[in-house]
Amino acid sequence: MFLRQREPLSFERSVPGKRGMDLPKPDVPAARDTRPAHLKRSGFAALPELSEVEVIRHFTRLSKWNYGVDDGIYPLGSCTMKHNPRLNEKVAGLPGFTDSHPMAPDALVQGNLELVYTLQEWLKEITGLPGVTLQPSAGAAGELTGVMLIRAYHVSRGAKRRVILIPDSGHGTNPATAAMAGYEVVELPSLPDGTIAFDDVTDPASGKTRKGLRTLVAELGPEIAGAMITNPNTVGVFEYRFKEVSDLLHSVDALVYMDGANMNALVGVARPGDFGVDVMHLNLHKTFSTPHGGGGPGAGPVCCAERLMPFLPVPVVVRDTVKVGEGEVPRHTYRWDWDRPQSIGKVHTFYGNFGILVRAMTYCLSHGSDGLKAATLRAIVNANYIRVRLKGAYSLHIDSPSLHEVVFSDTLQAKHDVHTLDIAKRLIDHGYHPPTIYFPLIVPGALMIEPTESEGKDELDAFCDTMLQIAKEAEESPDLLHQAPVLAPLRRLDETTAARKPVLRWTKA
Amino acid sequence: MRYLPSSPVEDQALLDAIGVPAAESLLAGIPEALRLGRELDLPLGGSEQEVAWQMMGLANRNMRFCAQFLGAGAYDHFVPSAIDALISRQEWFTAYTPYQPEISQGTLQHIFEYQTLICDLTGLEVTNASLYDGGTACVEAALMAVRVAKKRSTVLVSRGLHPMYREVLKTNFAPHDDLHLVEVGLKDGVTDLADLAAKLNGDVAAVLVGYPNFLGAVEDLTALAGPIHAAGALLVSVTQEAFAFGWFEAPGKAGADMACGEAMSLGNKPNFGGPFLGFLAVKDAHKREIPGRVVGQTKDLEGRTGYVLTLTAREQHIRRDKATSNICSNQGLVALRANIFMHLAGPAGLTGLAELNAAKAQHLRERLLELPDLEPAFDQPFFNEFVLRYQGDYAALEAACLKESLLPGLDLGRFYPEYQGCILWCATELHTRQMIESLVEILARVPVLAEEV
Repeated sequence: MFLRQREPLSFERSVPGKRGMDLPKPDVPAARDTRPAHLKRSGFAALPELSEVEVIRHFTRLSKWNYGVDDGIYPLGSCTMKHNPRLNEKVAGLPGFTDSHPMAPDALVQGNLELVYTLQEWLKEITGLPGVTLQPSAGAAGELTGVMLIRAYHVSRGAKRRVILIPDSGHGTNPATAAMAGYEVVELPSLPDGTIAFDDVTDPASGKTRKGLRTLVAELGPEIAGAMITNPNTVGVFEYRFKEVSDLLHSVDALVYMDGANMNALVGVARPGDFGVDVMHLNLHKTFSTPHGGGGPGAGPVCCAERLMPFLPVPVVVRDTVKVGEGEVPRHTYRWDWDRPQSIGKVHTFYGNFGILVRAMTYCLSHGSDGLKAATLRAIVNANYIRVRLKGAYSLHIDSPSLHEVVFSDTLQAKHDVHTLDIAKRLIDHGYHPPTIYFPLIVPGALMIEPTESEGKDELDAFCDTMLQIAKEAEESPDLLHQAPVLAPLRRLDETTAARKPVLRWTKA
Repeated sequence: MRYLPSSPVEDQALLDAIGVPAAESLLAGIPEALRLGRELDLPLGGSEQEVAWQMMGLANRNMRFCAQFLGAGAYDHFVPSAIDALISRQEWFTAYTPYQPEISQGTLQHIFEYQTLICDLTGLEVTNASLYDGGTACVEAALMAVRVAKKRSTVLVSRGLHPMYREVLKTNFAPHDDLHLVEVGLKDGVTDLADLAAKLNGDVAAVLVGYPNFLGAVEDLTALAGPIHAAGALLVSVTQEAFAFGWFEAPGKAGADMACGEAMSLGNKPNFGGPFLGFLAVKDAHKREIPGRVVGQTKDLEGRTGYVLTLTAREQHIRRDKATSNICSNQGLVALRANIFMHLAGPAGLTGLAELNAAKAQHLRERLLELPDLEPAFDQPFFNEFVLRYQGDYAALEAACLKESLLPGLDLGRFYPEYQGCILWCATELHTRQMIESLVEILARVPVLAEEV
């Protein structure tokens, strides 16, 4: 990393006449120009002219300013930055997959359809829910699909209802999704351990009272379409009264959506379908190791209970069994079923981020039932090891075993005027990517650490030693933290000016 | 399990430090009754070799073709080798969203360059770090237009828009009882101006038209912009084949207020429909309503130029239910492929590729029209796709082509009953004269070939 201080914008390097691509020689007559004069391309203002070697060096140098999972622990809480196996990448690049056309007849893409079917079967067993769609492109897209299923369910029973309940500890996409699906959001207060408050909660400072789940269900009852609940929650704690929560919501025919961002804590250990979840999404780019790609592409499959299955997006993959002679192994064929009258419709142009599904399938086959459970347990052990090692040096939000992640706050460091942001930036100087910071919102100055199962004891120790050293630095030389980072290619960046006077593209001087 | 850094000695050391006898002890927070009291009913894990063979088996169960004459929103183009080589660097493909700018300048500067080039292609001023795909980009464009237009609640959608984009729009508009999607019909393969005029009124926020449309025909954005702007609505161009930007004028310069669509063609393979690359470009005046991640240029403490995620006040982690969208990611790596592709192609490459695509498609059309049972469905300027009416039986044609490992064009009647018996053909730089001749030769013998199947 960090080999150079500066790689200019490619546009500043452009030299007229250079080419990075040679075209095949034309073997048909040149195109006749049938375009109306005003619709002819008039030229380009920014496209650079560079040779192949210059393009390769540009993007290689830029890459060295990034931190990746292979550089070391990437402890972003709720992001599950686990190892990205190379086999998955290799398989996803097989021409049999990459060349296949989404509009090709079903009979010609049997391998793809079998893969979709098989991955769905795995996800059904893992979640304990009988319906699956792999179409949503990301977690947020999965949430939207899931809430639209909830809406379709209520519409089929007479009214779409008005409200979605969301705990204040939830991810920001939850309320944004509910709004996109036409719902009003009512916030559920949570207790310090992030679990949902059944009773009203009074803030000791302001004296303000917020209504708990029981009051909200009693008051809003038939107006509640459902609730979106992250489990384990964003504090890394299992919603231990989940069954009671879902029973209470079901008593007014409200449905339970589970945000599966933290499913890495549950695979092989507990299944949402067994504790009352009606619909949930999984993040294949978290729990199932598909690479984050600097922001995407991901995949956010949605799993649902039987009563929501009629509303799943079209098309739905179907397996038919071909009749064979006695004693022979039955053969299967696969097809898309488009004839689903109650479906919410299409949520992706084609069938979702198929290339990501290939990687997740590969992950599943590599792990198997034994490996999936072992990974979950190891992720939990790793988080608890960090909890134990950093306890005392950093303020632990709750002092009980956590699941796959652990949340600290900057309370102890704040005494030296050192805050979460400073700790995060100092980690960069020590060669680490920082954890998730200032989230969940219910923990002031939160440092949310999720090591995943991919870290060995050595890596965990090195990270913890560094965190302990930073805690010491905060006491002894806080300015080191205030100034950090000083070893990265750039110091802290001015985000205020960036937003106030946005420069969002390069223009010729 | 080869991915887990686990050994009996180290595992025990971790448990001892935590102070529990076994990893299962840490599950105490999950009530016993809610736990899975058994192992998952799934096969055991496989070695790399076993899994590789199993996955290759699946890939091999898909039919391979000598040539695909099918486009329809997923285009097969040549992908330069440099793209896969660069993408396989772990710094690119394993990194997270660039929340910590000091340690993510690679991703951030790349997105800034990508944004610059999408603006260049579309002739507009502001874009984001990308959206999921063409269909969801249309949704984001339509919802954004409603926000920008204020107090207008109708979005007109040309029937020439990709049928799947229209389906995705319908799904996403369904929850909003106060918003309306209205279809505008086609005439001679392009948006019917009379029908458009009849449906334009003071409640219309935006009109979405294909550029070129699903039938391959180019819509005259300049002619459409007149009545649409007069009605106070926004013109949104939807491009499903980004190579067309090398042939037709940038939508922003031809009269569009917003441009969205699908840019998978830039450096990606059809991949059974995903991951693809949605884009949305808008005018500067509308920048604070754009959904999704946006990267901006700024300075660090020492005055050096750097890049950050910006305009975050629009986004879900700040605005929650008041955000411009729930999207909190982008198609990162696919956008990077497109960015590298555009860098390699440069202006000469994009223009040259566009000319090649137009030439191949024109040649294919001319050769097909020499056959007795194919005739034009309409006559409009096109890029690399066009529609011909077929007098024969599509199923027989398809069977004959597949027998020779050619994937024919799309049976348009599947999506447009009024174009029953028509076929949407596509040719790109990948189609040689020889492939085109093979297709023509097969089509000339369809009944004979199909019967042999």
